[in-house]
Amino acid sequence: MPSTVTLWSSVRSEWIKFRSVRSSILGVVVTFVLTIGLGALITTAVRGHYHEMNPLRRVAFDPVSTSLGGTIFAQFAVGVIGTLFITSEYSSGSIRASLAAVPQRLQLVVAKIVVLVVALLVVSEVAVLITFQMGQAIFAGVVPTASLSSGAVLNAVLLAGVYLTLLAMMGFALGLIVRQSATSISIFTSLVLIVPIIMFLLPQSWQNTLTKFEPSALGQSMMSPTPAANSFGSMTATAILAAYVLVTLAVGAVALERRDA
Amino acid sequence: MITIDHLTKRYGDTVAVDDLSFEVKPGVVTGFLGPNGSGKSTTMRVILGLDHPSQGRATINGKRYAELKSPLHEVGALLDAKAVHPGRSARNHLLALAVSNQIPASRVDEVLEFTGISSVAHKRVGGFSLGMSQRLGIAGALLGDPGVLLFDEPVNGLDPEGIRWIREFFRSLAGEGRTVFVSSHLMSEMAVSADQIIVIGRGHFITQGSVDDLTKTAQGSVFVRCADPARLHKALSEQRAVVAEGADATLTVNGLTSDDVGRIAAAIDVILFELTPQRASLEEVFMDLTADSLEYGHGSLDANRA
Repeated sequence: MPSTVTLWSSVRSEWIKFRSVRSSILGVVVTFVLTIGLGALITTAVRGHYHEMNPLRRVAFDPVSTSLGGTIFAQFAVGVIGTLFITSEYSSGSIRASLAAVPQRLQLVVAKIVVLVVALLVVSEVAVLITFQMGQAIFAGVVPTASLSSGAVLNAVLLAGVYLTLLAMMGFALGLIVRQSATSISIFTSLVLIVPIIMFLLPQSWQNTLTKFEPSALGQSMMSPTPAANSFGSMTATAILAAYVLVTLAVGAVALERRDA
Repeated sequence: MITIDHLTKRYGDTVAVDDLSFEVKPGVVTGFLGPNGSGKSTTMRVILGLDHPSQGRATINGKRYAELKSPLHEVGALLDAKAVHPGRSARNHLLALAVSNQIPASRVDEVLEFTGISSVAHKRVGGFSLGMSQRLGIAGALLGDPGVLLFDEPVNGLDPEGIRWIREFFRSLAGEGRTVFVSSHLMSEMAVSADQIIVIGRGHFITQGSVDDLTKTAQGSVFVRCADPARLHKALSEQRAVVAEGADATLTVNGLTSDDVGRIAAAIDVILFELTPQRASLEEVFMDLTADSLEYGHGSLDANRA
């Protein structure tokens, strides 16, 4: 008998699971609202105060990453989407039915990753493109603007979407390891929010070396067309964040394979 | 056919299943009986490849669950009816399972219809009663029209009409030549719904057989009313029977069959007015069998006070 459980059938199954619960839909809505809504607030505020800004800061002003400021908040929404995609299977117990239907556990994980990456990439890219264009329209006439016709700018905007997608994957990977929604989300939040605070308490020379490795600092590097001091170029930053995610995912996959469900 | 071969499962220091071996054959309903905590659910989880065995193995038609090419077409299982995402509709829950094994959506509607939950197919599962959840779980087990079916405590939460429905349903599944393996902690339930019974306690195999076999092995007693109870009592006691005298010239005899009692009475010329073999109830048989293996015994209050 040919196997009826293929990677494609598993992906279709996971897509049904993803779209059929309120938490995913709500998460997507919140991601849009935070990215676009806060983007509008931030750009409007900057426009109103640009004339008071001192010349040195005006020189360093980056209309791209500033207009994408909402992603700093949206990253929590996507983290929760990613986490719940796996932890809700454990909290409800439906992971047993899922694994009985797809006993190849790695295949189940890969199917979930495919669905999460595609869904989040579409959602995030749409959100950041809308936000960017809206932000430049709000800046226009008062604040310097950027255009997607510049390769570096397009790159930065698209990588902002990649950043959100990678953070969703990080949430998913933590959920795979920890299995509990609340604990996974706490760890995720700590990585994004608390680690920078701890870094801030370290000696300055350490900060200069270490800070750029924080997930949120990597995100800033990804969505800036020109690298700031003490930070990575956008591609290097993307590679480092992707490496974090891959390592965490690998640990999660091994945990799923070894442990009882 | 399900084969459990020297299966041991440990969780840390706790031994949930200890060197368990048995076979579940097709064509009959096999009951899996044991007190709560005796290892029934653990065994079922190992059969489904959800928990890894510490030693030994569990196979379905000779293959480990993970080796099945098309699991839902070969095995259908209901482990925990409430283990469904509460925010998902019944139909979407079944559809996600079906699609993973390339089962068409039309089959989802069929099993919803068959289990009588079509009318709530689009409702979120979180609002389901336990009985409705059981029906949803059964619908999920039937999706792939499998030859092997496992049900863990399926009658929990069902109303009397649902219980009767499910018993007839198990019989019809077995009648079609399928392997039907049903766990319960209630002997009375198994007595009416199962043909074969496997009894375990504290993870150990205790016994296996038909319902009749099990009651026969149990110690029954014989009720006697006769003309001269004192003389019969003496004669029976000489045959190592345990005899209790009751009111109105009656005796309750343990350790002999009614045939034996009749012969002995005839040999000493005692007239019998009544001779009734009293079968131990299945409940008593079960209590007897598992008395030493209860996970949580009923401790004596006096012992605590001392």
